[in-house]
Amino acid sequence: MRVGRLIVFLGVAAAVASMAATAGARTSSARTTTVTFWDAYSAGGGEVKTLEGVVIPGFEKTHPGIVVKDVTIPYDDLHQKLVTGVAGGQLPDLVRTDIIWVPELANLGVLAPLDQVMPDFKKYAARVFKGPLTTNYWKGHYYGLPLDTNTRIFNYSPAALSAIGASGPPKTFAQLISLSAQAKAKGYDLYAESGTSCWNVCPWIWSNGGSVTNKTYTKASGYLNGPKSVAAIQMLVNLYKAGEMPGIIVNSNAGLGTYDGINQNKYVATLDGPWMDAIFSAAYPKTQVVGSLVPAGPAGSISVVGGEDIVMTKSSKNKTAALEFLRYMLGYGTQAQLALAGQMPVLTSSSKWLTRVHPYYATYVKQLLTAKPRTPTPKWTQIDQVITTDVAKAFQGSESVQQALTDAATQIDGLLK
Amino acid sequence: MVVGNVRRAHTVMSARLVLLSAGAVLMILPFAYMLSTSFKPNALVLSIPPQFLPHQVTTSNYTQAWSSNQFGHYFVNSLWVAVVTTLASVLLSAMMAYALARFQFPGRTVAFGLILVGLMVPGLMMLIPQFLLAKKLLLLNSLWGLVVFYTGGNLALNTFLLRSFFQDIPWELEEAMVVDGGGPWTRFWRLILPLSRPALAVVAIFTFLASWDEFTWALTIINDPSKYTLPIGIALFQGQHSTSWGLVFAASAIAIGPVIAIFAIFQRQFVSGIATGAVKA
Repeated sequence: MRVGRLIVFLGVAAAVASMAATAGARTSSARTTTVTFWDAYSAGGGEVKTLEGVVIPGFEKTHPGIVVKDVTIPYDDLHQKLVTGVAGGQLPDLVRTDIIWVPELANLGVLAPLDQVMPDFKKYAARVFKGPLTTNYWKGHYYGLPLDTNTRIFNYSPAALSAIGASGPPKTFAQLISLSAQAKAKGYDLYAESGTSCWNVCPWIWSNGGSVTNKTYTKASGYLNGPKSVAAIQMLVNLYKAGEMPGIIVNSNAGLGTYDGINQNKYVATLDGPWMDAIFSAAYPKTQVVGSLVPAGPAGSISVVGGEDIVMTKSSKNKTAALEFLRYMLGYGTQAQLALAGQMPVLTSSSKWLTRVHPYYATYVKQLLTAKPRTPTPKWTQIDQVITTDVAKAFQGSESVQQALTDAATQIDGLLK
Repeated sequence: MVVGNVRRAHTVMSARLVLLSAGAVLMILPFAYMLSTSFKPNALVLSIPPQFLPHQVTTSNYTQAWSSNQFGHYFVNSLWVAVVTTLASVLLSAMMAYALARFQFPGRTVAFGLILVGLMVPGLMMLIPQFLLAKKLLLLNSLWGLVVFYTGGNLALNTFLLRSFFQDIPWELEEAMVVDGGGPWTRFWRLILPLSRPALAVVAIFTFLASWDEFTWALTIINDPSKYTLPIGIALFQGQHSTSWGLVFAASAIAIGPVIAIFAIFQRQFVSGIATGAVKA
């Protein structure tokens, strides 16, 4: 073979690809204003289809002259892309951001304070649940509005629960412990958890009466490593060491993922959010999953607030059009459409109609009444990494639970200063 | 004695065959599992015990992967970027390698040392400086931004490999061309490049693979979904709460097609390149 053949091959391939690429580029229209929207909606459960197939076309139809460019980014990479975008001054008009990133982005000075730049901010703020709204608050201003909310509940397979001989899901810590042993005897894991971050373990800490920090979020020592927090983690570690929880809590390769495990009758339950039903309907249509409240500890049944906010960047050159799309995303019709794809609405009025969209939302609404948010701080990403790493050490047995949480609390104290 | 030697040779040969077969199976297994999984319905993708031959065969993962998220468009983008990067990188690194192998000039050793240093800096450390540079060069959100930085990123390794290959080409051949009036460009184009086909095939394959698979830089600078490349398209099947593994494997199987084609076309040169020392200093 000659060098020429290599060059000809590569040249022809480049030419073909180039023609196809430019053909695609020519189709873009030249309408007036383009609003760029970054998000991490999932392709698996129909979220992207709803956004791009229903919501955005609906907006563009009712708002001629505005085009919305949806940029879907893998969730695991969105934070890094935002940080790089901040460094390079290359941010979109709007971002659907995880609620835990808003203080960090606001602190970097890249978000527009909505309560100052959006004339009707108060009207929209009054429409949404107060808890999710507060996740947008940072140093005296609101930098966004909640877009969707969620929490984790005890999602279980009724068939698996019946197979282990249980009459119902565990309602208390004590029942969780006894049913875990019962499940093990039947070859099941009662409760599968996929990690050791606050999202995973905080519901147990809070339900047991523990906490991550004090109420003013300035100190973790004495709280994260307090007796109630330690006891909650110790309960999970005991289950894990007794072989009653799968190893995926510390090593994702140690077994089936939570969904696959439930689908294949290996696990009975996991804590998860409202998207689970939509994903199961699409991917595992033969497996039924039902939700109940997180098993209650001495402090009650307390889960973690999740969700996403919609924020506008300071650098947006299309603020008026961007705010129009932001308002549209908080409209009743849009919120109902997204609810069908597993996105729990943030409108207070939704409690009246949400269960008509899908009955499983009822348990989530009830769980949200007591759910707690994670610590609102720009350092949350680092703090959560500390929790993940140190709690994993307790599961792996390299440190006692008390030692691991004390180490974590000391590091978090430094981050909160 | 002779019979004993023959038996011994047979035993050694059999042991070699067993070892090589085991190695081949080990290498092929993940690929075969990927293909097998791509034909399974989603609910059976990660079943235990694993099914190497799917009980239910479906092609829906392929049709769904190809028709969602402009996947076909991402494929074309990736092909364009990989091919242009390969052409540019092979040409530039061959020219650099020739200069470093054949010409004496002040700073030659330092220049080569600096090229080698480039190989030792982790790519992620360069992410933000490269991003700022791309912004100044107006290369953000552009496929040319990928081509330029992929080409730059591949130059060091390619130059390193080609230089050592060029050095092994006898100088007497070039001397003969000099006597006939051949200048440096003529010698490079008409003598060195044709004699270096195996080495060029090796660096072409390495460059194509590197630019075809690259994810982080592409995700960082591309903001327009119509300019996404395949690795981003595949990553989009990994959702926040779940991953559509059937789609991921089907998309990966589609993505691997051009790589196999490139390797099949240049296989003879690639093996020859390795055998003649193109990948050793």
